[in-house]
Amino acid sequence: MIRPSARRRAGRPSGRGAALAVALSALAAGAAVTCAPAPPLVGLFLYERADPYIDEFARQIEEEARGGLSVVAFDAGNSQLIQNEQLLSFLSKKPAAVMLNPVDRLASYALARRLKEAGVPVVFFNREPLARDLEIWERSYYVGARAEQSGQMQAELAMALFGGDPAGLNRRDLNGDGAIQLLILKGEQGHQDAELRTKALLESFDAAGYEVEVLAIEVANWKFDEGYEKIGPLARTHGGRVELVASNNDAMALGAIARLRQLGYFKDDNRDGSMDGRDESWLPVLGIDGLKEAQDSIREGYLYGTVENDSLSMARAMVRLAVSLVAPEPPPNRPLAERYIWIDYQPFKAAD
Amino acid sequence: MNAAKPGSSIRASILIAVLAVASAMVVVSSLVYLAVSAGTLGSFAEAQSAEINKQIVMNYEGYVTSVIETANYIQFASIGLDVRRDQGSLAALYQANADIKTDVLSVFLFDENGTKLVGPPMDVAAPLDVPARPWFGDALELPEIFHFSIEGRESMAETRDEEALCVSKAVEYLDGGRAARGVLLIELGQGALDKLARRSNLGPGGHLLILDEDGRLLYTSAPAGRLAAQSAALAAAMHLGSVRASPGGMDAVINVNTLAHTRWRIATVSNVGEIRAATSRLLLITLVILVGSTALSATAASMVSRRISKPIGELKEAMLRIEGGDLDAPVPVSGQREMALLSHALASMVARIRELMQSLVAEQKEKRKTELKALQNQINPHFLYNTLDSIVWLAERGRSKDVITCVVALARFFRISISRGELFIPIEDEIAHVENYLTIQGIRYVERFGHSVSLQPGMHGMKVMKLILQPIIENAIYHGVGDEAGHIAIRGRVEGGRIVFSVTNTGYGISEEKITEMYAIMKGEGERSGVGIRNVYQRLKLYYGDGADLRISSVPDESTTVALYIPASPPEARP
Repeated sequence: MIRPSARRRAGRPSGRGAALAVALSALAAGAAVTCAPAPPLVGLFLYERADPYIDEFARQIEEEARGGLSVVAFDAGNSQLIQNEQLLSFLSKKPAAVMLNPVDRLASYALARRLKEAGVPVVFFNREPLARDLEIWERSYYVGARAEQSGQMQAELAMALFGGDPAGLNRRDLNGDGAIQLLILKGEQGHQDAELRTKALLESFDAAGYEVEVLAIEVANWKFDEGYEKIGPLARTHGGRVELVASNNDAMALGAIARLRQLGYFKDDNRDGSMDGRDESWLPVLGIDGLKEAQDSIREGYLYGTVENDSLSMARAMVRLAVSLVAPEPPPNRPLAERYIWIDYQPFKAAD
Repeated sequence: MNAAKPGSSIRASILIAVLAVASAMVVVSSLVYLAVSAGTLGSFAEAQSAEINKQIVMNYEGYVTSVIETANYIQFASIGLDVRRDQGSLAALYQANADIKTDVLSVFLFDENGTKLVGPPMDVAAPLDVPARPWFGDALELPEIFHFSIEGRESMAETRDEEALCVSKAVEYLDGGRAARGVLLIELGQGALDKLARRSNLGPGGHLLILDEDGRLLYTSAPAGRLAAQSAALAAAMHLGSVRASPGGMDAVINVNTLAHTRWRIATVSNVGEIRAATSRLLLITLVILVGSTALSATAASMVSRRISKPIGELKEAMLRIEGGDLDAPVPVSGQREMALLSHALASMVARIRELMQSLVAEQKEKRKTELKALQNQINPHFLYNTLDSIVWLAERGRSKDVITCVVALARFFRISISRGELFIPIEDEIAHVENYLTIQGIRYVERFGHSVSLQPGMHGMKVMKLILQPIIENAIYHGVGDEAGHIAIRGRVEGGRIVFSVTNTGYGISEEKITEMYAIMKGEGERSGVGIRNVYQRLKLYYGDGADLRISSVPDESTTVALYIPASPPEARP
């Protein structure tokens, strides 16, 4: 089963990221030579490993760190209390650094203070602490993506599908009213990512001059099951008016597709042996995350597209950063603004 | 056997060995157990208080989550509702959510300026305060999160006077069809915090504190006072984790944890004094067990060792008696099979020794009797021949009076010699025997020597072996009596438990070499037999053993003395 994953933002021009990568790899090379005998101990604290995105992310981090860092992973099972306990007991082992994916980002201030007290540098990831919390400890960093970027990219995927011209929508505007009739599957109500993605999606349409009619926003709590359950009534209510389904994540999108198939959507109407946009009962559904299942669904022709949260690039950036932080001569403390490392989302659709 | 080393007894050895092993094991296992369990109890106290802390934080988390859900629901249900056009529906929605949860005091929606848009009637002064209230500014400043604040003020709702906990968040709403930003406020009664605090088990005096991100005390379940102030200070100094401390003199573990969805931390102060008491109780119980089991093993060891050593001890006693000569000592046959076999073997061995000794003694007795008889018998024929020769000589000279004297003396002499077969006779009889002998010899040697007898008074009745003086006197006559008239002095006395007879004759005396030669003859080293002195010496030794002696001394040209030393009381058991 696919669980919700909570992402942080995306965006930012990547020229700076490349410069940083060069600087970091130089530092990493230096560190690798001098620290050969015993790789420095680094804790990897995950909010919940049952989240497939996090599990894969963790594996990528461990893979990247092989040889350079001795990574010990902890699964907090979605409990900040357990994570607090795990971190505190791990600190007694005098780690060189920790990579921390907080369960509750608001708790980060307490963890940051504790890490500062212990003098252990920290790389936050996946869930972004408040800026004032990152300010507490000069050797704390955040590696992540900007959530609004995923919403923007999702909108861009949709715009391309509708012809790229706000004034003249293509045949995807089924009723030809010049507006896109949209269903939104939202993650958790009040969840920052859900809010930011939804908001960025709608704002991007607005900014590009597209007229959008939101038929409904349904909260499906990031879950496949809830996406499956909640799309049914919506599809019945709004029937043939729906021109696009935008989901805050892949899991809900895949759940929705599973249900829509049962309701008569996604049939091989033109009998060409494959499922694609040419079939009349096909409906464009967009996800975010770039899960493997989502990519498979795209290849099979069901899911139209997703926005890939580039965890591999993040994992690389995190490991390089950690290696530089634990080097015998660590980098000088940077101002707060330079302690954010943004990794871009990548749009992913059938053509890819 | 008489050089046997004392050493320690079997019983002591077994007892010490078993006791040492048993008590070492008991002591070591007790100590290990104690160390482990004391450590476990200590860490148990800490683990337990950490668990309780987690439980409490989870209770609060559940509560916070339910409040957030309420806020989210209100937001979600408000989508599409306009504060101008749908005032009635919004008011009903807000009111319903305030009513459905007992601890929700009120729900308000304010615009960016702090003007109330939705919510119950407010206290008169309240509306003016809104823009200045921390929850309002915080919500606008950091719109993406919920803000929880305890400001120690009453609810702003006109009808509610309880102290309120404020939960605020920036929200978007529709105002005449346009999106606008405002602040949602949910006021909660503080009673909920107390209710959750009471559900915790922190031990007597244990309490909880809620601190904000800067360590300020927002709430405590402890009554205001020194304890609350001290634990608040201790908790504020900690960012996270647990510490052992003693606020207000209480033995406590303080745990600090973050509270999800808020910027708060919850500190619990658990009283672990009871666990410490349990540790001492455990110590006491362990000590009792230690002492008890040592005593038990001592008793067991003592019983076992006694069972093994008692028969050995009895056997040892029996052997000591046997060693002391008591061959009739009973040999106990008891105890374990090996011991019984050993005892039985010893008993048969002793019985055999006894038999052998008895037959040996009987043989010796018989042999000595024969020897004594033979020795006594040596005297007579020689003397009888000489005496009869003298009597013939007297008769030839017609000295019939002397013949009579001589024959009478001879008759008495033999009567005493025979003494009805007795081996021992009173000293007076022995002296009489010597007198008869001297009488006979005096006749024979025509009074060429005189003699004297002096006995210590009181020794006349004492018994001595018969015929011990006569050979000495015979010797004195033959060797001491020369041409001149001599004298033979016979003295008797009792000295140091021995009867001492000395026979002194005048004469030339004898040389040291002669004395040495005589001693040698006495002890049977020479071949010459039949000498009287040797006969007496051998009989004394044979019968009296080492207690008897015969000594020869001489003053040259004057006298020779032969002294006999005889134990005054011969053992009657030895014939």
